[in-house]
Amino acid sequence: MKKLLSKDKWLYALHTVSHPADGFYEIRHRDRGSVAVALIFVILFSLAWSVNRISAGFIVNDIDPRDVNSLPELITVLLFFFLICVSNWSITCLMDGKGRLKDIVIAVGYSTLPATVGILIGTVVSRFVSEDEAAFYTMICGVGIAYTLFMMLVGIMTVHNFTLGKTLITLFLTVVALLLIIFIVLLIVDLVNQFYSFLHSIYQELLFRT
Amino acid sequence: MRKTFRSKRILGVLILSFMASFSATAVHAEEDVPYDTYNYNYWEDVIKTPAAYTPAGKFGGIDLGTTAFKEPRDFCISEDGEIYVADTGNNRIVVLDGSLRKVNRIIDTFTAEGIEDHFSAPYGVCVSENGELFVADSNNARVVVLTPGGEYKRVVKEPKSEILEDDFAFIPLKVTVDYADRIYVISKGAFEGILVFESDGTFSGYFGTIEVKISVWEKFWRRFASKEERSNTQLYIPTEFTGIDVDADGFIYASNIDSEGIQAVRRLNPQGKDVIQKGENGNVGGDIRYGNYGDYSGPSEIVDVVYRGKGMYSALDRKRGRVFTYDKEGNLLYIFGGVGLQDGTFQTPVAIEQIGEEVLILDAGRNVIMKFRETNYGNLINEAVGLRFDGDEKQAIGKWQEVLRLDENNELANNGIGKAYLTAGDNEKAMHYFELGMNKEYYSIAFKRYRNMILAENLGWILTGAMVLIVAGFIFKKIKNRKKGIEREEGLL
Repeated sequence: MKKLLSKDKWLYALHTVSHPADGFYEIRHRDRGSVAVALIFVILFSLAWSVNRISAGFIVNDIDPRDVNSLPELITVLLFFFLICVSNWSITCLMDGKGRLKDIVIAVGYSTLPATVGILIGTVVSRFVSEDEAAFYTMICGVGIAYTLFMMLVGIMTVHNFTLGKTLITLFLTVVALLLIIFIVLLIVDLVNQFYSFLHSIYQELLFRT
Repeated sequence: MRKTFRSKRILGVLILSFMASFSATAVHAEEDVPYDTYNYNYWEDVIKTPAAYTPAGKFGGIDLGTTAFKEPRDFCISEDGEIYVADTGNNRIVVLDGSLRKVNRIIDTFTAEGIEDHFSAPYGVCVSENGELFVADSNNARVVVLTPGGEYKRVVKEPKSEILEDDFAFIPLKVTVDYADRIYVISKGAFEGILVFESDGTFSGYFGTIEVKISVWEKFWRRFASKEERSNTQLYIPTEFTGIDVDADGFIYASNIDSEGIQAVRRLNPQGKDVIQKGENGNVGGDIRYGNYGDYSGPSEIVDVVYRGKGMYSALDRKRGRVFTYDKEGNLLYIFGGVGLQDGTFQTPVAIEQIGEEVLILDAGRNVIMKFRETNYGNLINEAVGLRFDGDEKQAIGKWQEVLRLDENNELANNGIGKAYLTAGDNEKAMHYFELGMNKEYYSIAFKRYRNMILAENLGWILTGAMVLIVAGFIFKKIKNRKKGIEREEGLL
């Protein structure tokens, strides 16, 4: 754990944000990334999201503060994060991707950093803008999120050693795989439920017989 | 032992005070109403409010001293305060006095050009400013004009015009008259709009046609459909108007049943263009939240509208028996009424009118007129909205504060107070109230002023701080450079 969270790893994460292509290459081939740091970044992203929803200025904030609950939001973000990673991994495995699951987790995790920073800065700025200046807020958040998407694209391209075209195709297939996984999970849950109720009715039958 | 006695006594006091607090709320017995009173907030959630109107009795034909009404469909209030009820099932017009105590007269026959004539299912009734009585005599396909006493004056017959279809049947349901004695008639099945007649009875055209909306998706499918399929699908015809009223400026308020539940009331200018404002929630169609399954599901079905003065108007929903009152900007002010058998609830509400401060609703299912009296809460809102309509926001602030005392979530009240503080120059308080009232536009104005004020007050500090920072950075850089220079020199040595 100490090694995973060493100062070098943290600094390297920042280096990756400023030099995505080189950074992700070294993560893949020289093990300079850290899964723990990536997970912390995802958690930070989720927290920034909740903070934005609850305390962005009134002008830009349409959300009923009573609706915000950061813990379920954190769980949702983490689940979605793992779903993306796993579905991307399962597709790229079949398409000669060079990345390991670890690399994908790091690539996606590190990419969330610009969005986190953008949203946090935007939240602070939003408390000082009036209605006609709200565009600044949108721009700051937008730039952060756009850079995150760009990093994600570059990251996945680099760790798998893909061309741009192939990356876009795999990303599309990733979405398909994601939907498939959700579908299968729902099927299984339903099946388990039915099986459980079947066992439960047998149990009740036996109870009433005696 | 003693201790338990004392604790029992404390308990007793507690229970007593609890009960006292209960009886304190029971003082508001006037708000013990047989329906839900609520409103929608910024997020379109249902928020409970105090009752704005409470039931104040029901009046059937027998109570008033005549035979029972039979499916009365419309009524109307004349300038001198008499109530004209179109007793459709009994083929007569019943004239009541304004306080609903007695029947003044009954009009069931009239003598037209020497021949005695009757009504046949008189569906709509209206009294003009000049005191002429207009009766939409639906089965006889005419609008009969009488004096208030029931003397025949003239008749408006089935219109003849090229713009009408050949199989057009004139079945007048509702009628109203504006200050220039133009006659507006809603005819059954006239989807093209309201029929307008000049005062002498000549037909001058349609008015206020409701445009049909076809979604892109439906257009897309129609492209691929064959001719037969196209003729089999339902026709896209606009909805009919259901109720009509006219305000002092000659603007026509017309209601229709909107299947989307978004716009059920139109405010038509003299050209027949809709100029209604839809308010914060973009909705003047009654209920915003409703169930999709079951008995009372689906959007509200607005069957009548009444102009209440000061830009306010009320719409009557026959589906859930509710009355929705909006102000000029289309903000929903309050809701009352319901479906049921208790006093104050309806079976088939068909028409709504205002007499003085009271609201009357005609129920064709129970054959009664239901009377509603405004509560303190309703009165405060009516007066505050009226003052605001007259442009007297400062006067309104006291009323709004009273409203807030009764209903602290009232967004209109918060905005009203916020505006008063804004004009008084107290931007911080204005911001607070605008945030409670979820009014971003005005909050932004108050915030800008507040920000400028803070900046102006602290400009000295801010500029000094910035100067200090710049100088400090400059000195820091110099020291760093000197150190580097020394290091370099040392390196050279």
